[in-house]
Amino acid sequence: MAAAQPNRLPSGGRIDRSRPLAFSFDGKACEGFAGDTLASALMAGGVSLVGRSFKLRRPRGIVGSGAEEPNAIMQIGEGAAAQPNLPATQVELRGGLTARATRGWPAARFDIGAINDVFGRVLGAGFYYKTFMWPRSWWKHYEHGIRKSAGFGQAPDGPDPDRYEHMNTHCDVLVAGGGAAGLMAAMTAAKSGARVILADEQNEFGGSLLASAASIDGVPAADWVAAAVAELQGLEDCVLLPSSTVFGYHDHNFLTIAQRCAGPTGSSDGGAVRERLWRVRARQVVLAQGSLERPLAFCNNDRPGVMLASAVSVYVERYAVLPGRRAVVFTNNDSAYRAAISLAGAGAEVAAIVDSRPGGGGELGVRAQALGIPVLAGHVVSDVAGRRRVTGASIARWSGDSWGAVRSTIRMDCDLVAVSGGWSPAVHLHSQAGGRLAWDESRLCFLPAEARQAHVSAGAGNGKWSLGECLADGLRAGAEAVSRLGLKTAAIRAPETSPDAGENPIEPLWRVPAARDADRCPRQFIDFQNDTTVADIRLAAREGYRNVEHVKRYTALGFGTDQGKLGNINGMAVLADVLGKTIPEVGTTTFRPAYTPVSFGVCAGESVGELYDPVRTTAIHQWHEAAGAPMETVGQWRRPWYFPRNGEDLHAAVARECLAVRNSLGVMDASTLGKIDACGPDVVEFLERIYTHNVGRMKVGRCAYGVIPGEDGMLKDDGVMARTGERRFYLTTTTGGAAAVLDWMEKWLQTEWPELEVYLTSLTDHYSTIAAAGPNSRRLLEKLGCDIPLDKERFPFMTVKPAELAGMRVMLFRVSFSGELAFEINIDSNNAPAMWRKIMEAGAEFDIAPYGTETMHVLRAEKGFIIAGQDTDGSVTPVDLGMNWLLSKEKDFLGKRSLQRPDCLREDRKQWVGLLSQDGRTVLPEGTQLIGDNGKAAKMCGHVTSSYFSACLGHPIALGLVAGGRQRKGETIYAAQAGRDPLPVQIVSPVFYDPRGKRQHV
Amino acid sequence: MSETSSPLPGVEISVRSGRGFLNLRLNPRRGQALEAAERILGQPVPPAANTFTAGEHEIYWLGPDEWLIATAAERVLSLGSELAEGLAGFHSAVNDVSGGHVELLVSGVDARTVLTKGCTLDLHPREFAPGQCAQTGLGRAAVLLAAGDPSIYTIVVRRSVSDYLCSWLANAARPHGARFPAR
Amino acid sequence: MLLIECPWCGPRAETEFSYGGEAGIERPADPYALSDAEWADYLFFRSNPRGAHRELWNHAQGCRRWFGVERDTVSYRIEKSYRLGSAGSGRPAAAQIEASEEKRR
Repeated sequence: MAAAQPNRLPSGGRIDRSRPLAFSFDGKACEGFAGDTLASALMAGGVSLVGRSFKLRRPRGIVGSGAEEPNAIMQIGEGAAAQPNLPATQVELRGGLTARATRGWPAARFDIGAINDVFGRVLGAGFYYKTFMWPRSWWKHYEHGIRKSAGFGQAPDGPDPDRYEHMNTHCDVLVAGGGAAGLMAAMTAAKSGARVILADEQNEFGGSLLASAASIDGVPAADWVAAAVAELQGLEDCVLLPSSTVFGYHDHNFLTIAQRCAGPTGSSDGGAVRERLWRVRARQVVLAQGSLERPLAFCNNDRPGVMLASAVSVYVERYAVLPGRRAVVFTNNDSAYRAAISLAGAGAEVAAIVDSRPGGGGELGVRAQALGIPVLAGHVVSDVAGRRRVTGASIARWSGDSWGAVRSTIRMDCDLVAVSGGWSPAVHLHSQAGGRLAWDESRLCFLPAEARQAHVSAGAGNGKWSLGECLADGLRAGAEAVSRLGLKTAAIRAPETSPDAGENPIEPLWRVPAARDADRCPRQFIDFQNDTTVADIRLAAREGYRNVEHVKRYTALGFGTDQGKLGNINGMAVLADVLGKTIPEVGTTTFRPAYTPVSFGVCAGESVGELYDPVRTTAIHQWHEAAGAPMETVGQWRRPWYFPRNGEDLHAAVARECLAVRNSLGVMDASTLGKIDACGPDVVEFLERIYTHNVGRMKVGRCAYGVIPGEDGMLKDDGVMARTGERRFYLTTTTGGAAAVLDWMEKWLQTEWPELEVYLTSLTDHYSTIAAAGPNSRRLLEKLGCDIPLDKERFPFMTVKPAELAGMRVMLFRVSFSGELAFEINIDSNNAPAMWRKIMEAGAEFDIAPYGTETMHVLRAEKGFIIAGQDTDGSVTPVDLGMNWLLSKEKDFLGKRSLQRPDCLREDRKQWVGLLSQDGRTVLPEGTQLIGDNGKAAKMCGHVTSSYFSACLGHPIALGLVAGGRQRKGETIYAAQAGRDPLPVQIVSPVFYDPRGKRQHV
Repeated sequence: MSETSSPLPGVEISVRSGRGFLNLRLNPRRGQALEAAERILGQPVPPAANTFTAGEHEIYWLGPDEWLIATAAERVLSLGSELAEGLAGFHSAVNDVSGGHVELLVSGVDARTVLTKGCTLDLHPREFAPGQCAQTGLGRAAVLLAAGDPSIYTIVVRRSVSDYLCSWLANAARPHGARFPAR
Repeated sequence: MLLIECPWCGPRAETEFSYGGEAGIERPADPYALSDAEWADYLFFRSNPRGAHRELWNHAQGCRRWFGVERDTVSYRIEKSYRLGSAGSGRPAAAQIEASEEKRR
């Protein structure tokens, strides 16, 4: 074990030494313990090189211990269940886990791109924009190379087999962050009777308390945490979510939380959920996400072994890992002294605490010195030595001039540099919610200021650095949320802690001076993941960039998976310094969700595969499936496309189905049509306004074809309507238009004409519609047994009657969408499968052919009937479609006024016509562009909207919109064809078959 | 929330067969239409939004002038005629919509959790108590959701999307050891 | 995701609603008395303000009622939602503001 984990301390920490876990990193077998993160296990195993930087390919090590980690970016898992780009600091160690460094192919220790670093002087800010833009035709080569060497993770190679789910929930108080402040806030709110959700991104609650030596109420901090968590768990309406990152704060107090539940299981069969997305509507939110430590910008500050001081403490205290044997601590504030004390306590040598402040630290400084740690006040670390691991630090006297050059340095050997440049509250969620930020000149950080939504910040995220302050601030925030809810705050006292150590104030130190000036010295990194340096920001400013958002995009500052959690404030401060502005004048870039990267899997949740979008099926769907009909998707509906017999293809089946309808009998499931019952004393007046024809003239029992224009005069939808009573109509719509038509009618009724008494009820799902079409359709119905006479005198074309057919109650329509004698049977969907089966049995003697959507399309095209949405596109008026006969001159209707607009009266509007390929055999692709002549520069004059081969006519037919088309019948125009000469087509009437309509009247 | 399958299912889902449905429209503030309907139905027509009454039928509020009456399938024809006759003097509409709806029952200790996966309503028993109903979304389908006795929910869904909804429910319920009738 | 107060059903998630554009657009009593430009102005042009905006929403997945909402287009705050005028009020309902009790907690 000692060999496998050379940096593991023999005791202490929150890891379980009785549960060793084997894992692999870059193909090498490693070992850690339960309770480790991947990062702490790697560090325990002595892995100091975990990746390469994005642009310069510099070797990199672990810097942080949480969401801020820029370097240790891993590909976790293999194959379809792989997840790319996870920070090792946030991956809970599991047995069997496989990890690869995503930055540094083929392995972090050997990287062919490292040569970039040598020639890197030319890879300054805006390098990509300046270099790879010209010549333009080369871009595809550049892109390939850039992507290959970029070294981001690899996308999984198949659909993710794991289970993800969403959970919608509501609460009174959502507490984001379960450290000292968050626990206090949650406790206060929950005990006051509020419904509470407490979420923390780590696998254990407690935040920094898990690595703290402090005591609370007389017990070690970790014990206090355990007791608090146990108490919260016992409360009924308190939900505790560990391993859960609140990553988005959206409008109206809607927040999103990504919860990591299980490792990749590679199977969705079991119940285990890999990740869960909580979608929370919270009445109040307490933001207690703590703060992020900033590094300092000195030369070569990216070398493996340079770490955040707080992370050093976390690795020592929480994970019992020693990040180095001989450390230099470099700081401008008191907090880093804790890291020195932790290191010393764990047996490491602390060569020195280098403190830029002339007076050094406060009480913690005294304590450190008592442990024999030398403190070099008024000094800075200006450079470090070592390439794959720090070997020493150069220390210089600090003059207070950031941009000057240091004269002499002393060298101190070390393998670890623990750095603190101060702290930035994690104001991300506050800002996402629209909250303002205010620069605090004494704490040197942005603090959350006025909130725009219902939230309150607490703890270190509110600039409260000490434990006592955090606990008190959490209590205050919890009580504030409770009182805003109108609840009475339970009596809770702030726990007692050892008095906070007296601190000396932080000193502003953004860029550390080096031996050479800022443009010539070794790189001083601001953003580690994107290799943005102090020099890059200076260059951007020199080239004229002033706005922080522009500088960000030009230098890629804050672009990475860590979204600038380490570097942004330092970058802005350097920019401010260069521009001679204050930091608040420069301001911050915009904070947007997500706070940390979230997986596509958890975004999609259950909405994958067959659950991606609801599929609507008719009551007869099972029969169609059993008959082997391929399905066509129409909106959300699944409709039979055609019914092949004996291995027929689409064309053979459709030709046979068409001829069956024209010559004998076909039957179609038309149940997807929208159906609306409209009734009331004002129903005629209402429909007169909606439809263009004279609705009032329809007698009870009559049907009419109607079109619905929008108020702009353009056709919205069409369908047959039937007058079923003096004050009652049965309206049908297209399949796709059903919901929209009902909404359209309701909108006018409710918003504009509330004085009209009309009730509209959707019957789309209640009624199934079976269309029996063909010369033998009447004989079919007679054979089934119908209680009403079906002859053409007593049941003429375009009428409707309630009837009993085959012993079942139906609404029988004598209408036709094929031009043949036809009946549409509307029947309670519960009875539809039985009716369909009886029709198929009775129709056998007529060789009945069930037909699908394709045949329906051909039949209606032969008759020149439109399909709204196929032959129309929102720019076509009823006049363009040749439907002047439908437009009443005696009344007003919606859209009528617009039809008089000059544009609608133009003679050269595109009008709907029939088209015949002059070669007699080419079926034009739908969408084909129509041109006036066959010259190369010919102007487009229209396009094909529908096109089929007509088996009945023996040649192709097409329908299309042609400028001024109706006056041009007989003319020849041309259809553009890809890779071939334009094909001559003749403009004809859109009615190809039975133009007098005799067949439907028999 | 149980995440592993246990011998006792946390949720059971079933389709209620033999149900009939009527859609009723009338203006409850106009004349005695509401009272006339209640006389025929033999139970109150709920005036309060998002509530239902349970008696011989369940009568769900759908809108300020719209209700769904769920009853035994064999009662629909006569009940519909009685209502149509009894309300003939009022602006009203009665439609048999039996073929358009499917009724499902979701019950068990995890029923609320399962529904929460696809419904944005606050289903906490204090907020969505027995006797309350709501038209809302479940998964990607529009549904009528009603709270019966604690941990029993009724779902009424359009027939054409009922297969989708059953698949959705079966998937959401799988981690809870669901029992689901074979479809 | 917005939380919209349906005047009948109470607060519901935005996904239950459909948007109906600007409210309070009075439909001309006699469209034929308008010039083409005036008609186009009614038909196509909207105020698109920065700040308070009155708009129509439909509780599409719920009670199917159209109602009015006053929403700030900058902060997205909903100041109020209200029922439209009832039958027989003599004025186009969309042009009215009949504020319901603001129930937002």
